[in-house]
Amino acid sequence: MTQPVTIIMIEDDEGHARLIERNIRRSGVNNEIVSFQNGTDAMMHLFGADRSGLVQKGNALLILLDLNLPDMTGIDILKQIKENKYLKASPVVVLTTTDDSQEIKRCYELGCNVYITKPVNYENFANAIRQLGLFFSVIQVPPAAT
Amino acid sequence: MTAEGQRRRAFWQILLFAAGLLVLTVISAGSVYLVNKAREDSKWVVHTIEVENQINALLLEIRRAESGVRGYLLTQGENFRVDHEKAVAAIIPALDKLTRLSGDNPGQRENVEKLSAAIEIRLGQFAQEMVFIQQGQPDKAAALVREAAAQDTTTRIATVANAMAQEEERLFRLRTANSDHSQTLAASMTGIGSGLVVVLAMLSIWLVRRSAGARDEAEARLRDANVNLEAVVDERTADLREANDEIQRFAYIVSHDLRSPLVNIMGFTSELEELGGDIFRRMSSLAHVSAEGAPLAPAGPGEIALEGADKQLSEDFSEALGFIKTSIAKMDRLISAILNLTREGRREFQPVKIDTRELIEAIVSTLAHQAAEAQAEIHLEPLPDLVSDRLALEQIFSNLIDNAIKYLKPGMPGEIRIRGRTKLGYAIFEISDNGRGIDPKDHQRIFDLFRRAGTQDKPGQGIGLAHVRALVRRLGGTMSVSSELNAGSTFTITLPIAWNVSNRNTDR
Repeated sequence: MTQPVTIIMIEDDEGHARLIERNIRRSGVNNEIVSFQNGTDAMMHLFGADRSGLVQKGNALLILLDLNLPDMTGIDILKQIKENKYLKASPVVVLTTTDDSQEIKRCYELGCNVYITKPVNYENFANAIRQLGLFFSVIQVPPAAT
Repeated sequence: MTAEGQRRRAFWQILLFAAGLLVLTVISAGSVYLVNKAREDSKWVVHTIEVENQINALLLEIRRAESGVRGYLLTQGENFRVDHEKAVAAIIPALDKLTRLSGDNPGQRENVEKLSAAIEIRLGQFAQEMVFIQQGQPDKAAALVREAAAQDTTTRIATVANAMAQEEERLFRLRTANSDHSQTLAASMTGIGSGLVVVLAMLSIWLVRRSAGARDEAEARLRDANVNLEAVVDERTADLREANDEIQRFAYIVSHDLRSPLVNIMGFTSELEELGGDIFRRMSSLAHVSAEGAPLAPAGPGEIALEGADKQLSEDFSEALGFIKTSIAKMDRLISAILNLTREGRREFQPVKIDTRELIEAIVSTLAHQAAEAQAEIHLEPLPDLVSDRLALEQIFSNLIDNAIKYLKPGMPGEIRIRGRTKLGYAIFEISDNGRGIDPKDHQRIFDLFRRAGTQDKPGQGIGLAHVRALVRRLGGTMSVSSELNAGSTFTITLPIAWNVSNRNTDR
């Protein structure tokens, strides 16, 4: 792999974002993390001004996605990511408070790679993120479509 | 139409009816009376005519007798003598009849007496004349005839008879007038009465029609009200359903959104805890450094050697964090409970045929470990099968049986009994135990969300019974408890034997 993976974190709650980042760092992952607090900014970054996704062509990305965003639902973002030819190969980790089975099913159907419920219990939370770190180390982020 | 108006109308109807009846009775009585009177009057008219006839018949017989005597005297013809004798024989009965007929009238009676006296004299003369003729003394007979004619006997007879006839004539006129009067009276009475009856009948008809109109109107209004009522009920049901959905969504969103900040609170509290650990560890190492002049090897994690005020500080810090963490954990459990309840409330029920015994046996086997620990025996009596939602039934029974095992009296072998029967399309299940029981004042409270009763020595959120009751209600059933403190509890569930989606599919 010639290019380090960039972690894109779309999370409106600053606290959550901070906790996630800390735990990722604690698990020994040092990749760059780019945070977005709303869907619009994230979409702009991912798809570019022309909405084609061309800006991310050739970049290796891993996307951490919260479902409850102030301006749009994470489901929409997930759907568009998985429909875009430049982005669809990027792994998406849905990380949210919703533990509704319907919602989880829906995310998997749309192509999400991992679904993690944010537990209130911090031990579990930290564990989940650390496992995610483990996941980062084993996952093969495919070379982006050229 | 007011009740007052109705009562007044009814009163008037009764009054009219009574008046009609009274008028009819009066008319009938009056008519009977007047008809009788008219008949009486007619009888008297007829009587007068009869008396007149009788007078004329009497006079006629007397004339016949007289003419018979004269004829006999002139011709000595036997036929005249027979004629005369017949006439004489008829005079007395005719006179008797007249006497009888005119007996009612004192004036006439007097006249009849005068008449009969005159007739008697005349009859005596007749007899004398006949005797003279038969003795061959026609001269004497003729003289007697002349004498009789000359004397006023015949005249008197005629006069009296005339007077009588005139009297009868007067009576005839009077009685005819009377009779006419009675008949006119009877006719007018009947006429007026009939008119009155007709008027009353018309009044009644008018009243009846009016009340019938009022009734029709009331019926129409009732129909409208019924139709409206259905519409209103539909509307309200829709409103309620919407409100219910709204509450479900609200509960879901609120509990969901409450969770987000809770993750932060918990996360940063844990971070703080760790930070606190670091700070106090550092304090301890600094204290040791300053006290002994040389740095010690850093203490192992979790092993903080502090003294005096610093130790107190560290303990207070940990205690505060501990309270925060337990509170957060509790809040998380409550939020999860609400989430689960709303999720359960939104689940679609699927009616399937359920072997109740099998279902409960499965539950009992999963609870066997707890039951053994609590020294509880579970007895299953024959249970009716039903068509219902399997998962809901499982949750209902496992909650109730779990409660029964959980709240037994400590140190006393438990006995839990599950009975079932059917009644009027409903299956009634009773889950009874010999446990600690529930104070009657708490019987309502135990079904409320997050509320518990009795000694709080078992873990729980106060959700089970609220959940069970919500499920039972959604399945179209009811639920109740009967229990006394220290005397065991019996929970009774009544469920429709054949539940289907249409029963309660609106209740989502």
